[in-house]
Amino acid sequence: MSTRPIVAASPDSIAAVTLDARMEERITELLRRYPTTRAAILPVLWLCQERYGWISPGVMRAVASRLGESPAFVEGVVSFYTMYHTRPPARYVLQVCTTLSCAYCGGRALVEHLKGRLGIGFGEKTPDGEFQLMAVQCLGACGDAPVVQINDDYYENLDVTSLDKVLDELAARR
Amino acid sequence: MPKLTIDGRTVEVAAGTNLIEAARTAGIEIPYFCYHPYLRVVGQCRICMVEIEGQPRLAVACATPAAEGMVVRSESSERAKEAREAVMEFLLANHPLDCPVCDQAGECLLQDHSMEEQRATFTTGMSETRRTFPGYERRLIGPHVIQNQNRCIHCSRCIRFTQEISETSALTYKSRGNSTFIDTFDGKPFQDPMSACAADVCPVGALTVREFRFRKRAWKLKSTPSVCPGCSIGCNIFVQHHERVVYRFSPRENSAINATWLCDHGRFLAESLNQQTYLSPQRRVAGQPASASWAEALRALADELRGTRSLRVVASANLSNEELYLARELFGRHLKGEIVVPVFPGEPRRMKNGKGEWRTSTDAHPNSLGARRLGLATVDGEGLARLLGRAADLTVILDPAAHPYLAGDEALQLLRAGTLIAFARSQHPVADVARWLLPTPSLASNEGTFTSSPGVVQRFAPAFAQPGAVHRTATGAMSPACPTIASPWGPPGEARALWIVLTALARELGVATLDLASPADVFALMVRTEESFAGLEWEALGGRGQQESYRERQHVG
Amino acid sequence: MEAVLLRARGLPESRTIATYLAAGGYEGLKKALTMAPDAVTKEVLDSELRGRGGAGFPTGRKWSFVPKDHPGPRYLICNADESEPGTFKDREIIEHDPHQVVEGTAIASYAIRANTAYIYIRGEFVRWTRILEEAIEEARKGGFLGKNILGSGFDLDVWVHRGAGAYICGEETALLESLEGKRGFPRLKPPFPAVVGAFGKPTVVNNVETLACVPHIMTRGAPWFASIGRPRNTGPKLFCVSGHVNRPGVYELPLGVTFREIIEEHAGGIRGGRKLKAYFPGGTSAPIMTAAEVDVQADFDACAQAGTMLGSGGIIVLDETVDMVEVCANVAHFYAHESCGQCTPCREGADWCMDILDRMVEGHGRPADPETLLRICRFSSNGMTICPLGDAYALPISSIVNKFREEFDRRIETGSPLPQKKLPVLPWTGPRPGFGV
Repeated sequence: MSTRPIVAASPDSIAAVTLDARMEERITELLRRYPTTRAAILPVLWLCQERYGWISPGVMRAVASRLGESPAFVEGVVSFYTMYHTRPPARYVLQVCTTLSCAYCGGRALVEHLKGRLGIGFGEKTPDGEFQLMAVQCLGACGDAPVVQINDDYYENLDVTSLDKVLDELAARR
Repeated sequence: MPKLTIDGRTVEVAAGTNLIEAARTAGIEIPYFCYHPYLRVVGQCRICMVEIEGQPRLAVACATPAAEGMVVRSESSERAKEAREAVMEFLLANHPLDCPVCDQAGECLLQDHSMEEQRATFTTGMSETRRTFPGYERRLIGPHVIQNQNRCIHCSRCIRFTQEISETSALTYKSRGNSTFIDTFDGKPFQDPMSACAADVCPVGALTVREFRFRKRAWKLKSTPSVCPGCSIGCNIFVQHHERVVYRFSPRENSAINATWLCDHGRFLAESLNQQTYLSPQRRVAGQPASASWAEALRALADELRGTRSLRVVASANLSNEELYLARELFGRHLKGEIVVPVFPGEPRRMKNGKGEWRTSTDAHPNSLGARRLGLATVDGEGLARLLGRAADLTVILDPAAHPYLAGDEALQLLRAGTLIAFARSQHPVADVARWLLPTPSLASNEGTFTSSPGVVQRFAPAFAQPGAVHRTATGAMSPACPTIASPWGPPGEARALWIVLTALARELGVATLDLASPADVFALMVRTEESFAGLEWEALGGRGQQESYRERQHVG
Repeated sequence: MEAVLLRARGLPESRTIATYLAAGGYEGLKKALTMAPDAVTKEVLDSELRGRGGAGFPTGRKWSFVPKDHPGPRYLICNADESEPGTFKDREIIEHDPHQVVEGTAIASYAIRANTAYIYIRGEFVRWTRILEEAIEEARKGGFLGKNILGSGFDLDVWVHRGAGAYICGEETALLESLEGKRGFPRLKPPFPAVVGAFGKPTVVNNVETLACVPHIMTRGAPWFASIGRPRNTGPKLFCVSGHVNRPGVYELPLGVTFREIIEEHAGGIRGGRKLKAYFPGGTSAPIMTAAEVDVQADFDACAQAGTMLGSGGIIVLDETVDMVEVCANVAHFYAHESCGQCTPCREGADWCMDILDRMVEGHGRPADPETLLRICRFSSNGMTICPLGDAYALPISSIVNKFREEFDRRIETGSPLPQKKLPVLPWTGPRPGFGV
C-alpha cells in the first residue's frame, strides 16, 4: 500500500490563514449540502487538514470567520474529536488500536515493539519527524486484528515482522 | 394550568413549567447545578432526579415539564435520594478539598447540596487519584475572572452564558470525557463585557472574580438591595458589604431589566464606593481647609443662601430623584436660583433582560431621565461653561462628578470668581476652590430612587450610615492579582447624604414643606405633586429597606 | 443460508453499479417508487426488521414515528459510525456491495419523505468513504439519485459526512449534534429524532446493515425476510467474530443460531486448541457471557432473556489465557476514552472504573474495589445518564465482576494495597498557556 506522507505546514506559515480561491470553491460546494453553515464545520476542517496537515489556531480562526462562528466554538469542536491534529504531525502517524480484540490478538506485542523500535511513547514523534505513535480505540477491523492505521490507510493482520517491513518501506521512501 | 402533586403537596403552575420551578412553588427545593432559570436546559449534572409515578426510570426535573395529574416524589423517594447521593459521590470523586482556600465557600452549590445529600457510605474519601489540570489551578483568564479547572463540575453554565446571553461564545469546552476543561480560544484573554457573570453562574469555585479574591468570606457579607449607578439602564444589584466597606456588587434578579446579570463596568464600580476622601465639613479660611461641625456648616450655608443676590446650582444626573426634587424646590423655586443638570455621553453599555431583549445605553448617569422628568434643564459641557461664565455670587455644586468639565482649569478659574459651595465624596480639584466643602457619602449610604432609561422608578436602600476612611493592606504574595484588601480602619466619618443636608437647610431657611424626615417622605410629596410620580408607591418599588443576610437574598442561580 | 447482504463478496468488480444491476440491484427502489411511502413503511414493518446498529428497535416502527403533517424538510441518516469494539460488518458491506446501502438509503428516504440523506461515516474509514462516494456518483449518473428519480417526482440528494474520531457519535442524537457541526453531545430525549432531529426537523437514523436489508425486503417481500429467524427476530444477520478464534471474520447467518455454532463451526473454534473462557455477544457494550453460556441463541430476544444483549452482533471471543481483570480494565479504558463528558455519572464513573481497574492490574487492589465497581456501574445505568454510554460500560464491567469475582478476589489477596499516584490525564495536545495569578 502506498500510504501518502503528511506534509505538515510549519506553525509560522499557518499562524494566520487566508482561505484561497480553490478552498473557497470547495467550501461553497460543501455549504450547499447543509441547511446551516455551522454543519460544514467538520468537512471544512477536514479540507484544511488535507491542505495544511494539521489545524492551527490560525486555521481555526479562518474557519470560524468563514462560517460565522466564534473561534472558541470551533476550537471546542476540534478538540472533541481525536483525528484533527492540533500540532504538526509526523509524516506518518501510526494509530495503533489498543482495544480488546486487537490487544489480545498480538496488539500489545506490536505496541511494545513499536516503542522499542522507534524509541518513543504514545503521543510522541521520532526526532527525525518521520513517525508518530498514537494509541487509538477500536478501528472497526477486529476480524483482521491486530490493526494499525497509518495516516489514511488500514494495515491489518500484522505481526512484528510484517509491521517492521511496512515501516522499513515507508522510511525508505524519504 | 396543570395541577400536580410533589411530595404530597399539590400545586398549580403555568403550562410548560419545569419540575424544579414547580417544586419551588410548592416550597420544595430540588437540588441542581447545571440548571439556571435564564439559560437553556441541558440536564447534564443529573442531580435533580425525581421519581414520577408511572415512569420506571427516574426523571431529571429540570427537563420535565409539569403535567396535569403528575405525582412527583423528590424528598419522599428513596430511589431519588439514592440517585442524588450517587451523583454527589461522583462529583466529589475528583473535586479538590479546597473549601478552606476557595472563595466560593458559603455560596457554593456543591457545598450546599453535599450537606443535604452526603451520607456515610461514600467511598471516595481522600482519593489520591483525583484528576488535575496542571497550569489551570489559578489562571487569570480575563481581566476579572480567575479559573481553577480542578474545581470544575462541568455544568456548562459559563459556556451557555457566553453563547446565549452575552453572545460572545468566548468560552468553550475542550477535549472530552473526564479530561474536559473550560478555556477561551487559544488561551487568549476572556473578552466579554459581562465576563464576571461567568463567575457568578459558576456554582463552584472554578470561576471566581479577581477583584474579590481572598477579600471576604461570603457569609460575612450583608446584602443591601440597590441600583447600579454605572449607566441609565438601572440594573438591580445587591451592595454587599461588611463593617462599612463595600466588597462587591452582585446581581439582583429583575426579569424586566437585567435578569440575573451585571455588566463588568457597572459591577466593578463597587470598589469606587469606598473612596471617601472627605469625612467632615470643611471651610476654606485664607486658602487653608479647616474642619467644622455640621451645625456650623449648616448655619453658614443658610446665611450664604439667604444673602446671595444670584445663585446657580450645578446638580447632577447621579443624584436621586429625591435629592433633585429637593434641590429644585429649595434652590430653584424658593431661592430663585438657576439650576442645571449636566449630562455627557458615555460608552455604550448593553444589558439583556429575562426575555432575551437587549437594551442599550450611552448615558453614563443613573438618573438623567429622573432629572428631565422633574423638569430640570440639562446641559452639555458647553452649556455648563456658559453657565459658569456668567457671573454669579454663589455657586453650589452638588456633585463634582457631574461633568468632567468641572475638573478642568477653565472651570476652576471661573469658579474662583464668587463663592463656591461644593458637596463631594472623593478627591476633586473643586475642593481647593470651594469656600465650603460638605462630605457626601456614596450610593452605599444613601437612600432614594433613580428613574432608569426605560422609565422605571427604582429604589435603592442604604447599606450603612457613615463610611469611614478605608485603609488598604497589601496582600503580597497571597493574591497578586488583587493587590489590596480594604478594611475600615479609622472611625466613621461624618459624611451625610445630600437629602439630609437639603432638608436640614430647608429647616434653617424656614421652608417647612421641605423639612422632611426621610426620602420616603420626599417621595410621598413627589407623588402628590409631580405628574411623573403619580400613582407610585414607595413600598412597591422593590428594594426593601432592611438589610438582608447573604442567604436570604434572592437566589441568583 | 444463502448469502443476501454478502452475496457480492468475492465477485470481480463487486462494487460497481454494473455488477449490482446485473444482480437485480435498484429493483427495490423502482418498486418502492410505485408504492405509497406509507406502504413501503408497512412492508418494512411487516418484515419485522430490527435495527442492526445495536439497539434492535423495529425499523418500520421507527419510520412510522415521523409526523405526517410536518411541513418538512425531513432527513434520513445512514449511521456508518461503526465504532463498537468487535464490530466490523458495516465496513464489510461497504467494501463488497456499497450500492445496497445507497439503494436502502434511497428507499428509506422515500418512505419517510426525506429529500436529503446523509451517510455519517466514521473519520477513520477513509477508504470506505471513497467507495461510498463513488457508488453515490454512479447511482446519480444512473438516475437513481438526484432530481425526479426514475420519473417518479421524488428528489433525493445523498451526501457522505465524515466524522472525526468519536465513538459517541454513533449514538443517534450525538450523531445529529456532530452533523450539525458541534461537539458530539447526546441530546435529552424526548424529543425523539423522528420529531425533532437534524436541524430541528424530523429525522430517522438507521444503521448501514439495517438499510442494506431494505432493498432485499422490497424485492423479495416481507414474508420472505420474516421467514428467516423467528417472529420478532427476523432476517439474515452479519455476525462479526474476532478474538481468539481460528477464522475471525464476518458471517452471514439467520438470526437465532447459537453462539456455539457461530464460534465453533463458522469461526473454526478457539485457536491453538484452547478452551473458550468468555465471549461478548454484541460488542463490549453487552454483559459478558461465560463458556457455560455459549448455547444461547444469537437473536435480540433470546439474548435479552439470557441476561445479555445481541447489540451489533460483534462477537469477541476470549480463551482461557486471558485475565478477566485485565480484560475489564481494557474495556474500561475504551469507555473512559470515549465518554463525551457531559453528564456526571459517565464522565466521572468511567474514569473512576478505569482508575480502580488499572490499580488492580498493577497489583494494588483493595478489598472494597469490586463493590465500588458495582456501585459505580449501578449508578451509571438505567436512566442515570443522558445516553446509554453509561449502560455500555456498566453492563460489561458489572457482569465481569459478577461472573469472574474470584479473579478479582485473588488479585486483591495477592496484591499490595499501596496507593498509586495518578498522573494528570490530558489527551488535549494543543497549546496550553501557563500564565499564573
